Amino acid sequence: MITEKFKRTILDELNLDDFDIEDDTTADQVPGWDSLNHINVILAVEKAFNVHFKGIEVLRCKNIGALQNLVNTKLEQKQ
Amino acid sequence: MAKNKEIEWERWVANAEKNPDKEAIIHWIAGEEPFRWTFSSIIKAAESFAVGLKKRGVQRGDVCATVIRHNKYFYPLYLGISSIGAIPSVLAYPNPRLHPDKFRQGIEGMSKRSGLDWILTEKSLSEIIEPLITEKSSTIKGIFFPLDWEKDLKFEGQELENIQQVRANIQDSDPVLLQHSSGTTGLQKPVLLSHKAVLDHVTNYGKAIDLTSEDKIVSWLPLYHDMGLIAAFHLPLTFGIPVIQIDTFEWIMIPSLLFEAISKEKGTLTWLPNFAYNILADKVHEDELEGISLESMRMFINCSEPVRDKSHKLFYKRYKKYGVTQEALCACYAMAETTFAVTQTPPNKKVEVLCVKRQSIAKGVIELNGENENSRVCVSSGRAIDGCNVRIVDENGNNLNEGRVGEIVISSVSLFDGYRNYPEKTAAVLKDNWYYSGDYGFCLDGEYYIIGRKKDIIIVAGNNVYPEDVEDLVSHVKGVTPGRVVAFGEDDEELGSEQISVAAETKITDKEEHKKLKLEIIKAGMSDDLNIKKVYLVPPRWLIKSSAGKPSRKANKDRLVVKKEIIKWS
Repeated sequence: MITEKFKRTILDELNLDDFDIEDDTTADQVPGWDSLNHINVILAVEKAFNVHFKGIEVLRCKNIGALQNLVNTKLEQKQ
Repeated sequence: MAKNKEIEWERWVANAEKNPDKEAIIHWIAGEEPFRWTFSSIIKAAESFAVGLKKRGVQRGDVCATVIRHNKYFYPLYLGISSIGAIPSVLAYPNPRLHPDKFRQGIEGMSKRSGLDWILTEKSLSEIIEPLITEKSSTIKGIFFPLDWEKDLKFEGQELENIQQVRANIQDSDPVLLQHSSGTTGLQKPVLLSHKAVLDHVTNYGKAIDLTSEDKIVSWLPLYHDMGLIAAFHLPLTFGIPVIQIDTFEWIMIPSLLFEAISKEKGTLTWLPNFAYNILADKVHEDELEGISLESMRMFINCSEPVRDKSHKLFYKRYKKYGVTQEALCACYAMAETTFAVTQTPPNKKVEVLCVKRQSIAKGVIELNGENENSRVCVSSGRAIDGCNVRIVDENGNNLNEGRVGEIVISSVSLFDGYRNYPEKTAAVLKDNWYYSGDYGFCLDGEYYIIGRKKDIIIVAGNNVYPEDVEDLVSHVKGVTPGRVVAFGEDDEELGSEQISVAAETKITDKEEHKKLKLEIIKAGMSDDLNIKKVYLVPPRWLIKSSAGKPSRKANKDRLVVKKEIIKWS
């Protein structure tokens, strides 16, 4: 499930006031999340949650819900 | 008809006979073992595709458009098309954000303009493309899914005799490929190149970069772009050296893939648009570089968008400890109309960088200055390569001396023959065999510096975006006054490239409604795979018109970006 902090991080990075993001939303559905901005969004999420992704882990995320799960897994591993 | 000189297919076959087991294309996939084509195995696979194409009715001179994602069979398919005298044309696979109707319209426009005969694609696109075939005005004769074809076919008996005859009749002046410039239906320009143009270019450009049989190219560039198709596909295959092909989509997700491939395969050459230097310098985690060595690299060649000294400096600072030298950071000026390169900086020599007085540039005269805020830093794109002649001309086409700013015009042994089925566009740029590039620059001590553009094209990460396309899209958004929109490129220093900005007039005055309208404008761009980074909403009659009666891009950009005028809503 998409958390408010996760959603806000993405929207702030893309300069969006609001946009509905669900688990099955894909990057191409979010205004401004194109290939050039992709890496900025990933870096912003890493910074906000103090986690670190491997490129291949992000590549395997099929939607934004999968990216949220990746964040959750990383946070669990830290504990 | 008597055979006239060599064609690409013959060179590829000769390379396979000379070095059958030498690697030709290493197809890279993140997290997997790469697939390796040798010069002989790729020819064998190409022959099988050629049989499949002939069996389905493809003839010499037919345009075969390929719309295929990163796939190991793409390369022999391309070679197979060329081997029967048909003309390959690589088109971009549609991004998921591109609306299917827009994609279809794009193909339809290309079909009408450049006369596509066959579409070779993946089954997932059949529903979108198939309706085009039945349309009355369509030139498209059929759609094929070659990835599913049998892979070990050979010409035999009469078929073999026939194909040998076809190949013997192909002339070096015949077209070898068709490239489409970016833009939508009305603006795409189909560039047709001959075998001779490409073969001569490989010889001349190979000399400019001291290419040897020991070189190995590494590339993530898309093959629908001239830099990817010529520098990282035709050049290595024709010269007989390996190329590592990385998926563009995977590279943008994992930029360090380029370094992984260079390090593992001991790559020596790569071509990159300027923004890639910034991404690689700023957006790669240190731990992704563990064990990486870039010492094998002779040249990182910056091309396809204005070269920025700052990007080179950032890149060098980050990667010198991995083996990058300042001498390896090179630059090139290139375009599809001249096959590819026009100028190139030499290997093993630091690129020339000049600090020029901004005011002097405005006057069209180059006056050197120290590095300060009144200076513009200009990076050399090198000298004209063999077979190319470059002139700098004024608005009347008169030659200008060194140190004077003007339009860059080029003659080349690898010059295109004109835009296919587009005589009026051809006539506008091709005069007495000189190509008028629309780029502004100057020459100093024999080296060329590119500093701007005559046309309003926006170059986003090496891709040309026509402002007309963006303006047309935005004009149709509800709430925007139709025809009262300008689109322009705005510098993004962090990215090392330009981004698309839009200024649109609206009667809406409510601030909350403005937010919604901005979002709708961005979404409209998305539907055509255009990322509008910034939206300026302005009240009615705010935009200044040019003498032609249309809102002026330059004047309005100046008000918004340079003067930062405050927009008042009464």
